[in-house]
Amino acid sequence: MIKSFRYLLREGIKNIWSNRTMSLASVGVLVSCLLLTGAAVLFSMNISAAMKTVEGTNSVRVYMQQGLPVLSSVKAGEEIKKLDNIASCKFVPKDRAIENVMGMLGEKDANLLAGMTGKDNPLPDAYQVSFRDLSKYKDTVSKILKITGVGSVNDYSDIAAKLTKLDHMVTTGGFWVILLLSLVSLFIISNTIRATMFSRRLEINIMKSVGATNWFVRVPFIVEGVVIGLISGVLSSLLLQLLYGRLVGTLTSITLFSPIPMGGIAVPLTAAFLAAGSLFGAVGGMISIGKYLKKEGGDIVDW
Amino acid sequence: MIEFQNVSKVYSNGTQALKNISIKVDDGEFVFIVGQSGAGKSTFLKLITCEERPTDGEIVVGEQRLSELKRAEVPYLRRMMGMVFQDFRLINKMTVFENVAFAMHVVGASSREIRRRVPYILSLVNLQDKAQCHPRELSGGEQQRVGLARALVNNPKLLIADEPTGNVDPALSFEIVDLLNQINKRGTTILMVTHEHSLVKHFQRRVVEINSGAVVSDSCNWEARDD
Ligand SMILES: Nc1ncnc2c1ncn2[C@@H]1O[C@H](COP(=O)(O)OP(=O)(O)O)[C@@H](O)[C@H]1O
Ligand SMILES: [Mg+2]
Repeated sequence: MIKSFRYLLREGIKNIWSNRTMSLASVGVLVSCLLLTGAAVLFSMNISAAMKTVEGTNSVRVYMQQGLPVLSSVKAGEEIKKLDNIASCKFVPKDRAIENVMGMLGEKDANLLAGMTGKDNPLPDAYQVSFRDLSKYKDTVSKILKITGVGSVNDYSDIAAKLTKLDHMVTTGGFWVILLLSLVSLFIISNTIRATMFSRRLEINIMKSVGATNWFVRVPFIVEGVVIGLISGVLSSLLLQLLYGRLVGTLTSITLFSPIPMGGIAVPLTAAFLAAGSLFGAVGGMISIGKYLKKEGGDIVDW
Repeated sequence: MIEFQNVSKVYSNGTQALKNISIKVDDGEFVFIVGQSGAGKSTFLKLITCEERPTDGEIVVGEQRLSELKRAEVPYLRRMMGMVFQDFRLINKMTVFENVAFAMHVVGASSREIRRRVPYILSLVNLQDKAQCHPRELSGGEQQRVGLARALVNNPKLLIADEPTGNVDPALSFEIVDLLNQINKRGTTILMVTHEHSLVKHFQRRVVEINSGAVVSDSCNWEARDD
């Protein structure tokens, strides 16, 4: 059987080459399917990572009401410090806040905000407040909000909820799109292989007439599918790494959020792509040959 | 070698191709099967190769009762028989050598066995010089000799030929049957369907005539009735 296997492997690869237009189409859809799956997974992973950082910070920023006199702000600060569960409470004057924003924007864009310094600063004063016990987070935030002069608290639990919702949407939406694409991939792969089979029906007929087992007839077509799958897996992995690498670069340079680096996930991602690709290919091959193997001898030639 | 016991075959569209046939072919026999077009000759052969299953009756090939043969076992039954077709069924993009080697690959022969066996079989059918030709470069008679080589390469006990000379010039048909005759002398049982009465008369072998799905004569000194 081993000696036959080399022969069958070669036959399968020959099939791909002799049917290259269709093979290319199969690789195309399978790559798009794998890419989308990979993108959805990466997105999800990044959201979880982002949520961990958000949840991990036990500090919130408490904004005073717009245009509140500094004295009142200080008073409010004293009130905050008096609450239990407060670890620290640091004053962030609005002048420093606008400087921070300008610093983040870089020199060119910062000029846009040049007119917003001093008296024209639209930002409120704020306190950076951190908690002792995160489990009392909600309770403490509501107490802070009741203090006179406090305008708003940027509440991370809110962001977390939004992120979760987004993740959920991407996951369910992605699931359906990927399911649909998987079916399309299977359809195209099995049709590709069926086309090869059609062009080789004389060979199949002869094989059966000289006593080839069904497995022997089947293997080259499964090899064809698996090789298509493996090629797609490699291509998708490379493409996704390239695209994601670029995206990470851009994201890190314009936002504070740092996405998961590709390094750690490249290997499992590639492995998963190769496994999924070859599985799809094998199933595609099985689907297409199944019903033709039921035919015997001459009727294969007369398809 | 082959025994039909009250075999009938009705195709799924209702055509009754064979009606209650009982016949026996011994090891080493050479049998011509004659009869008009549509008489049921090909059906008779297809029942032996398990391309079709009988509607009624039992067929024994070798020691094997075909009713007890599972689908998955059919390939192994076929390895003891060689088949030759009217339309040759050669693969045009393969050379003569590759066409014959193909049959050996399929049953799992090693490259060494193939390199040794194929030239021998090609010399047996006088095609040793054409090994690297493609089927299209050969005459009909030569193509059928390639088909014959392929059928013989796995050393079958039984050779089944359905109108093997149907697409071959009459002069060359004779040569093909002569080859079959030699193969038969080496002990291979041969069943050959043919229309060509001149061949049948010349070789003076057992002749089974089928008409409308029934055996109407079975003799060793057969005379065609309507020619
Ligand atoms: N696969 C099939 N399905 C239905 N009818 C068939 C099939 N094969 C053959 N027949 C019919 O069975 C009869 C015998 O056919 P066949 O055995 O091919 O005859 P022959 O080889 O003697 O010309 C014919 O009437 C033919 O039309
Ligand atoms: Mg016929």
